[in-house]
Amino acid sequence: MSLPNEDNMASQLSSHFFGDLLDSIIVDVASECHRIARLGLDRNLEDEEEELRLSAQARVRVADPSNSGEANSKYVVDIFGQSHPSVASEVFECMNCGRSIVAGRFAPHLEKCMGKGRKARPKVTRSSTAAQNRYSRGSPVSTYSPYSNSTSSNRLSNGTSGVAGEEYSNGTFQEP
Amino acid sequence: MRPSVNRPPTPDVHENQEKEPTLQETINIKLIESGEKERLMELLRERLVECGWKDEMKAICRAFIKKKGRNNVTVDDLVHVITPKGRASVPDSIKAELLQRIRKFLVSAAL
Repeated sequence: MSLPNEDNMASQLSSHFFGDLLDSIIVDVASECHRIARLGLDRNLEDEEEELRLSAQARVRVADPSNSGEANSKYVVDIFGQSHPSVASEVFECMNCGRSIVAGRFAPHLEKCMGKGRKARPKVTRSSTAAQNRYSRGSPVSTYSPYSNSTSSNRLSNGTSGVAGEEYSNGTFQEP
Repeated sequence: MRPSVNRPPTPDVHENQEKEPTLQETINIKLIESGEKERLMELLRERLVECGWKDEMKAICRAFIKKKGRNNVTVDDLVHVITPKGRASVPDSIKAELLQRIRKFLVSAAL
């Protein structure tokens, strides 16, 4: 027969030890993240800076009027009277890692984000790890279609912005 | 004649004798010695990974590191950053499971 006092004490002690365990685990996680950061093992950090730089470059190239003409055959008015920039400049959130990505840089970003990244990946779910285990050694390009069916349907072709421009015409990225 | 200087009394050597270990300490020792603490820790770790808690914490760390610059971050910084959210966001089912196991151990150890 346990007295209410004993119960209280037991609850208090249990909570104390649980807190102890949790604190230890928190320190472990912090230590692990610290190590990855300081050793530069998180390629995402430098990749992002590089991507931002490349996006800026791409935008400059697009904005430069001397480029329009023979080089950018896509920069013409289509039947709806719309003209698309050759590098889609819409910024949206990558559904895999949650980062802000320029649309024109999305395909190469996906390559790094989903394809050859190592174990430290932002979102690890059972379905995504199962899918990734299947083609972890395959080439990133050929495996886009099976992967896109299992998570979200990215109907982006590899980098051609003419198609990409249409999909973003209403300003949001469609996900079924 | 000058009175002798008033010195504070010499601290009693026996004052710093080991106090009785508290109940908490006793149980902690039993937890560790029996290996149960290790088992509990592994169980909690596994559960927290399964439910995505660890990934959440890592994402918070990464955001902070990006802001502060990866070479300016200390482990202490990260601990302070994730502790409040970390403690609050443990799913109730996991907390209940662990608390129950700890209580079971307490009952068996106290007897």
